[in-house]
Order: sequence, then C-alpha cells, then structure tokens
Amino acid sequence: MSSYAGMGGDAPDLVCQLDCAQGMVDALSSVRWKRHQDAVVEISEHGVVLIVEESGCLQAKVYLKRELFLVYEYTAEGRPRFGLSLGLFVDCLNTFSTPGHAPVIEIRYPGPDMQLLLKTVDSPDACIYAEIRTRIPDTISWDYNFQPTGNVHATFTVRSAVLKEAVDDLEWPGSSIEIVLQPDPPSVILRGEGHGDLQVEFPYYANTELLIAFQCDHRVSYRYKYKFLRATTSHIPNSILKDNRGSKVTIGRGGMLKIQHLVSVKRAGGQHSHGDTSGGIQQLSRIAYIEFFVKPEEDENPVNDT
Amino acid sequence: MKFKAFLTQDGVNLLDKRFLPALDKHGRICHVYLTPDHAMFLHNLLGGDGVQSVAQFNKDVLFRDYRISSQNAGRIAFAVDVALLHRALRSALTIQAQARDDTAAIQIKLVKKLAAGSRDPAPFLTFETKGRVSAVVQDVPISKPLPRDDVQQLQSALEAAQDLPQTLVQVQDLAQLQSLVDRLRNVGDLLTVAITQYGDLHLQVSTSLITVGSEFRRLRVLGVRADPPIGDRTLSAPTRTEMAIQKGEGASVQVSLKHLAKSLQCHLAKPDCAFYGIAPQGACLTVIFQFFIPGTRLTDKSISFYCRLPVLDPGSGP
Repeated sequence: MSSYAGMGGDAPDLVCQLDCAQGMVDALSSVRWKRHQDAVVEISEHGVVLIVEESGCLQAKVYLKRELFLVYEYTAEGRPRFGLSLGLFVDCLNTFSTPGHAPVIEIRYPGPDMQLLLKTVDSPDACIYAEIRTRIPDTISWDYNFQPTGNVHATFTVRSAVLKEAVDDLEWPGSSIEIVLQPDPPSVILRGEGHGDLQVEFPYYANTELLIAFQCDHRVSYRYKYKFLRATTSHIPNSILKDNRGSKVTIGRGGMLKIQHLVSVKRAGGQHSHGDTSGGIQQLSRIAYIEFFVKPEEDENPVNDT
Repeated sequence: MKFKAFLTQDGVNLLDKRFLPALDKHGRICHVYLTPDHAMFLHNLLGGDGVQSVAQFNKDVLFRDYRISSQNAGRIAFAVDVALLHRALRSALTIQAQARDDTAAIQIKLVKKLAAGSRDPAPFLTFETKGRVSAVVQDVPISKPLPRDDVQQLQSALEAAQDLPQTLVQVQDLAQLQSLVDRLRNVGDLLTVAITQYGDLHLQVSTSLITVGSEFRRLRVLGVRADPPIGDRTLSAPTRTEMAIQKGEGASVQVSLKHLAKSLQCHLAKPDCAFYGIAPQGACLTVIFQFFIPGTRLTDKSISFYCRLPVLDPGSGP
C-alpha cells in the first residue's frame, strides 16, 4: 500500500495542529452510534476523512478540511489509510479538552509503530499526550457513486432539530420507515408502519420556515430500516441544534439515502491567536461536513420511482 | 470508658462544610479515634485494600471541655457511618439556629442505651443541643468500641504512615487534575504515576490499544530536589521520566485510577495546598493536604489530612 511507503523515513505523512478539540469531538461523535466502533481514516492534501460503516447498509463520513487545522503539513504520496477505534479516538480527544481551555493539539501520523500520536503543544509546563494504536484498514465495502434518480436530485433541506425530532417520533412504530418525496403537492412524508402507523409530513408551502429547500420532479418513495435512520440523527451534537443549521436529505438512484449535516468546529470562546486576521471568514469556513449513506430496504415489489 | 465534649463553632464548620462531605466520598464507614490530645477520622487503616485516609485534628480545634478516659491510656476508637454523623450534626445546627440563642451549644458524648426493640444496650454517639427553652438529643449508632488490640493496630498504622516520601510535589489545581482523572477513566483503570526531583508529575494510562498521559512540570518541590538535565525539554514526557528514574532522581508506581479519583474528592475539604509523593520503596502514593491558618499563608499544624493510595505494582523506585 502506498501509504506505508514512508515507514522507514523520518518525516511523518501528516503533522497537523488544531485548536478546537471540542468541535472535533462533536463532529466525530455524530457518527458514533455505538460505543465500540471501528473507523477508517484517510488523509490527503485536502484534509482528513473518517469513515464508519455498519452491516454494509449504513456508512458515515466526516470530512475535516485542511482549513480547519492551524497547521496542516502533508507529505505523503497517495492517500494513506489506517483503521482505529473511533470510541478511543473520541475519548482521547475529550481528555485533551478541559472546560474553559482549548489547548492546541498536534496530531502526527504515523509514529514509530504506526500509531497516531497526539499531544498538546501550547504550554511548556503541562502537557497531555496520547498514542493510539492503528491497524491496517478493512476495505470499505462500498464506495457509492451517488447519482440522481432522474434528471435532478430528489432532495430537501430541513432544520436539523426538526429532522431529529421527526426521526425520534418515528421510534414508536419502529422497524421500517418509508420516505416519500412528491412534487404535487410539494411535500416530504416520513411514514412508519410497525406496532402502529405514524406519518410525519413536511408540506413545502405550509410553512416556509420548515423546509428550507425542496427539489423533486417526480414522486420518489423508499423504505429504510429505522435503526439506520436513527443512527443518522441520534448523535447530532447540540451545537448544530443551537446554531439552527439545516440538514440536507437526498435520495439517489436505487433509493440510496444521503443525509448531510454541518458541524461547526469553531474554537470555543476567544479569538484566534495564530495570526488570523480574517477572523470572521475563517470562522465561517470552520465547518465539518458529515455525510450518512443509508441503503434502502430491499422490497419484493418496488414501486419507487414513478 | 467515657467521652464527652462540646463542639466549638470552628469545629462544627470544619466538619459540616469541609471534612464530613470529603470523608463521606471516601467510604460510608470510618473509624473515629479519640486520644487525650487528638480526634481522628480514619478510613481503611485496619486492613482492606482501599485508599487510607487520615484526618487528624488537635482536640482544641474541634472541641472544648474535652473529657476522655479509658483503660487503654485514654484512647477510644469506634466505627461510625459518616452520612449519619453528618445528618446528626446538620440537624443539631438547625436546632441551634432555631433557638436563636448564642448559648445553645452542641455537646457530644458516648453513651450506652437500650435501643427500641432490643434487649442489650448498644453504644451511641449522642448529640445534645441545649437552648434556653429546649433541648434536643440525637443518637448516632456506632460500633462497639474497638478492643485494645485493634486500637493498638490503628496506632501502629498511623505511626507507619509517618514515613514521608523523600520528594513531594505541589499540585496547584486539584479541580483540573480531577477533571483530567475523570476523563482518563474512560481510557483504562490502571494509572502509572511518576514523580521526579525536578518537580515533574507524570500520569499515564496504558492499554493494548492506547496510551494517554499527562505531565505537569516545574511544580514546587518539598524535600529532596535536583536540577533537571540540560536540554531535556526536547524529549518526550515518557522518555524524560524514564531517564529520571534511571538516574535515581524519580520514582514511579502503579495505582488504581479509581483510588486516585477518590483521593481527589478530598478537595471537598477545601485544602489550601496538596502535595503528591511516592513513599520509600514505592510503598504507596501519598497525598498530603495542608490548611492555612485563616487569613495567613502559614500552615495550620493543628489539622493534618493525608491519603495513602495502595500500590498495585511497585514499579521502579530509587
């Protein structure tokens, strides 16, 4: 694997520094739907992507662009990948962030034994460090080429809090949830049938605050397992809800569901101390992108795209 | 065997606001050990593998009109439920406040009484709050006074604990340390603590998948100190610690993270300083808390409070 080419060399593939451990913890926690979860990390000149998946039906990616880091020195060729325990990584980052103090953390990969190395670098008299064992990654079982169902994407954007609430409510019927997007009248319907029936409807014209965006030129309907749908919203960090951000939901070809959240990884309180003159713009771009992909349930009589 | 005394106002405040909340976190049951000069609250001194803690007060800090007598050189020890003791003290305080009477004093004494539904008299520590118009008596059940051998064992354990570590480092911010320890508990259970004569305190939790550590440098040192080697700033914390131990200028032990977290609960007693040290031969990790005489920076010698954390692995020492 190209990633291990630099093993004998001195320069690590990646040295980066971040000053927003809490934002990073928020972003990573949103894809941690169970306590012990393995993740694959891919690093490139553009940033870091963390991928988790389950049962070949649910996949989540966290995109941490290089702009989120104070320093981002990437020297590898190809795109090194390694596997690690997401839970340990999050717990470890949590150890670094003390309330009221956002330390600058340096992350380095690989260490002498292929570890991921972390340490605080802002105080000479007190430091925290960590070494996380990595492993050779499993191959990602599916890398989906997301394509529109028709000429345009069937998609809608809704406040993350509203989406979370709707999915939480659908816990009661449970098992399988049908998502319908229809152009006439333009609306989104989430319907659960299990122990009972429950339908949540977002009509586009009823309330302009509800659906921030809506695009659909023909009726689309697919069913998804509730537990996977729940995983996409259950760990949305409070900061998203507080920032009143929107989540974008798209149904692609074959019913592949894509849900995107934006998590801000602003530095907690205070201004930048690292020569950042364009504070405002910098803060705006300090967003981590989270994407979930959920495969639809396989139906014997699909009547999906009409 | 007799004991009675009036609690001083300072004593009531110290126990109610500071020590009893801290002691309660250490363990529900503690030994109260009274001697002609001192009153002590002890945890785990008679065996057990938990954190030993000793809170010792000069008798005049807590009491006035202190009367004690026993056939064991005026020493009495018994076990008591800390929460019950605190509850009795709090309600005595309430009664005192309601009496609106400065003369209302809280007297405590050791008594034997027939408890309801019991045939044999049982020992109690009685709180008697007397105002001008009313008097309220509360009985806190205690164990039978410890036999002479056990009292002797307590005394020996106390004397053994006098063996101070060669080097003690001062930790300024106990709350910060506590929040670190709380978060380290997510990582593992076993903590390696290293202390060097340069004033470095190094904590490390290590499992097969992860190692997390934290180092505090240039802490105030009491006892044996040494100058750090030149150029050691560029080294990593584990390397620096390893070198110090090899040179005999540092020591390390392994303790339970749970025990350390428990000992940090002592900050509820609001000590003014805390010092950490490793006892000779790596026998235990000692934490010593100091209290200042109010309004000064002078150590109050009439109160002493320390913990000894059992060592799970003797590690390496000088």
